[in-house]
Amino acid sequence: MRGRLVLAGAALALLTAPLVVPTYQILLLLPFMAYAVVLLGLNLLFGYTGLVSFGHALFIGIGAYAGAVLTTHLGIRHLEAILLVSAVAGGIVAALVGLLCVRYVKIYFGMLTLAFGMVFYTFLLKFYRLTGGDEGMRVLRPLLLGQEFSDFGKTAYLAGPYYYYCLAVLALAALGMWRIVRSPFGLCLRTIRDNPLKAEALGVSVTRYRWYAFVISGVYGAVGGALLGPPTGNVDPTLAYWTHSGNVVFMTLLGGFSHFWGPVLGAFVFIYLQDLVMSVVPYWRLVFGAILAFLVIVAPGGLMGLFTRWTAPAADAPRA
Amino acid sequence: MSGIFHAAILFLVAAGLQVVFGVQRIFNLACGSFYALGAYVGVWAVSAFVQAGGPPPLFLVPLAAAGLLVGLVGWVVERGLLRFVYGRDETFQLLLTFALVLILEDAIRLTWGAAPQSTSGLYLTYGQVRLAGATIPVYNLIVIAASVAIALGIGWLLTRTAFGRIIRATADNREMAEALGVNMGRVYAKVFTLGTALGTLGGALVIPATAAMSEMGIELIVEAFAVVVIGGLGSMRGAFVGALVVGVLRAAAIALYPELEMILIYLIVIAVLVFRPRGLFGAAVA
Amino acid sequence: MILEARGLTKRYGDFVALDGVSFAVAAGEFVSIIGPNGAGKSTLINLLTGVATPTAGTVRFKEREVTGIGSVALTRLGMARSFQLVQIFPELTVLETLEAAVVSRLGRGTRMWASLAGDRAVRDAAGEVAELFRLADKRHALARTLPQGDKKLLDVASAFALSPEIILLDEPTSGVSTADKHAIMEILVAAARRIGLQAIIQVEHDMDIVFGYSRRIIALHQGRVLADATPEAIKANSQVVDTMIGRARHPAAP
Repeated sequence: MRGRLVLAGAALALLTAPLVVPTYQILLLLPFMAYAVVLLGLNLLFGYTGLVSFGHALFIGIGAYAGAVLTTHLGIRHLEAILLVSAVAGGIVAALVGLLCVRYVKIYFGMLTLAFGMVFYTFLLKFYRLTGGDEGMRVLRPLLLGQEFSDFGKTAYLAGPYYYYCLAVLALAALGMWRIVRSPFGLCLRTIRDNPLKAEALGVSVTRYRWYAFVISGVYGAVGGALLGPPTGNVDPTLAYWTHSGNVVFMTLLGGFSHFWGPVLGAFVFIYLQDLVMSVVPYWRLVFGAILAFLVIVAPGGLMGLFTRWTAPAADAPRA
Repeated sequence: MSGIFHAAILFLVAAGLQVVFGVQRIFNLACGSFYALGAYVGVWAVSAFVQAGGPPPLFLVPLAAAGLLVGLVGWVVERGLLRFVYGRDETFQLLLTFALVLILEDAIRLTWGAAPQSTSGLYLTYGQVRLAGATIPVYNLIVIAASVAIALGIGWLLTRTAFGRIIRATADNREMAEALGVNMGRVYAKVFTLGTALGTLGGALVIPATAAMSEMGIELIVEAFAVVVIGGLGSMRGAFVGALVVGVLRAAAIALYPELEMILIYLIVIAVLVFRPRGLFGAAVA
Repeated sequence: MILEARGLTKRYGDFVALDGVSFAVAAGEFVSIIGPNGAGKSTLINLLTGVATPTAGTVRFKEREVTGIGSVALTRLGMARSFQLVQIFPELTVLETLEAAVVSRLGRGTRMWASLAGDRAVRDAAGEVAELFRLADKRHALARTLPQGDKKLLDVASAFALSPEIILLDEPTSGVSTADKHAIMEILVAAARRIGLQAIIQVEHDMDIVFGYSRRIIALHQGRVLADATPEAIKANSQVVDTMIGRARHPAAP
């Protein structure tokens, strides 16, 4: 019950924020929402299936560049089209890459995903005639449900219509993941996470189900990545770099991979804390590295882990 | 030829990775960051040496010394941080080394700023030499020779000394080694320090040939990662051969078709992971 | 014949774990496999359940050749097993564990959009198995919090929840106190009757359990079948008794 109240409160806060909160903070909520979508997908893989990907930036990059290619080179500016193309592209790449990766576990899975991520990064960097190289590619302002909002200045557009659009996408993405996680499929994923040997003995095809989870996480990663482009108006290869993959895993751990909303919380805290630290000193990595070390050593359950430890005996893994 | 120089440096860093992975089963993402640290400290040591009036031809001494001494940071890291996650899931160990990557990246930026640092002009102190139609700085040859010497030295350490035997025993069967009375804590501390020192030395030695730059750590780790995958996780021979393969291939790719460069290497990594996960010399994978 | 092993051989390099093991199990049989450590019992179970592939020989299930099709396919065909080293899902509740088995049986594992909580068929079937195995009052407990005996029961119960036609139990009463052993066996037999199980094969060390419940005993020694007969015949077989020395205990004289 308390959980639902908190959730309702958060939803209300997000809905009314543009009316009361300063624009600068609102603009920060945009990458938060994009990463929240990415992380919902990543945690299906991490918290619910037990696979740690160190190459998820691959999908973020795919989604981001899909938006750039569509708007600048193909003249298609409907955000719905961008999201659809990103989702499909992410899904296809995840299906192919996943075929190879899901047969391996733990460190080999991590290494394979890292390698794929870096292949894409290097491609984006080196084939500059196609991709714009290290300068990246521009993303033009997308049309929201066909509307141009031409009389809105850039900030007004981002803090207004675009904000609500992203919020809607996040809400839909969360709803979708909620259903997936609480479905018979979600239960099967958790059996694979907990004991692959026993899962197979119960007739669950471990590799195939991991593949499904991987594809879904790839789709979410690409959709989130697509939302990252418009606010800055530019996408560049660093979106696909391995440290970016590390950061999203960090966000997941920060919020707590054992809880459905943990990663979303992690994205929120990461974005805001990074902004806060940067306003004081440019060395956010130093602070965050220390936080990550602390988390790993002392509080691997993340923020949600700490909350639930205060309120109820903790279950160490997502219980849907 | 510069490919072999690069391979020599890569070998040092990869060897550091291998010895830590072989014994502690931890893939140290921060290995590249230690390499960067060695580079920056190396620049500082050489500049200080030259400014204090030291004769330029002897710059190798403070450089190598700095590279090795900075490796002691590994001891601090192991005792102060790493040992709290032994026995935990390898994901968390990996994430802890990632935390180190973040910390070191900014620590370096904090100390030395964002501009590249170099030991300008000292690269050609030992002159150049014509070999097989190419002009090669003698410095490169010195580093290659040193690298080979270190490879042999590590081989000797592993096979002829008591410590080496302990390392191999622990890598082979940790529980047994512990049951036989080996003090794991001390072994781990020494091994990690050795691994770190190899990385920092590599960073220091690369300095005259290139400038110390803020991304060098996170860029090198992916190359070192390719080396150990191709060579086989945990294998010294693998580090040696893998470094040669990656170093030479990369140089060839840059010369022939620059866009390919690392893509080719990553594709080989993927191929190795799919078709022969244990690499050239690694132990069989479950 | 429900399950048939023909010339099953398993070699690990030079080591021969199983050498030409053959037998057939018909519907209605309760077979115990006995033998000293290293006789190849667990290897045999692994080969029969598809976890490992034989170096030579075949396995036939329900008159079909099934060698090498893997444990997932065999489970789908109607075979289930429990493990010697108890295998559970630590972070799932008892009910969820059983539900997972039912979901798999009903082929609903790929339903990504439906609500598990709303699936009455799954929940009821899982609840029924929980009742059968006397785990109903613990159904919301996390598997890792259960006492060892209950974990074993859960391992076996989840195999039963697959409504298999044949079940292979690898030491179902090991690590459990003597008093509990009989309790477990009684539960097992009652559950088997309830779900219409056609045959049971168990690996067992406790001779009281072996003679008390099974009607056919296969004795393995060094990878080969030493004897395959009724309990009475086995008891009278001095070669078998000698091989099992230290393990064979005649039931207490009246």
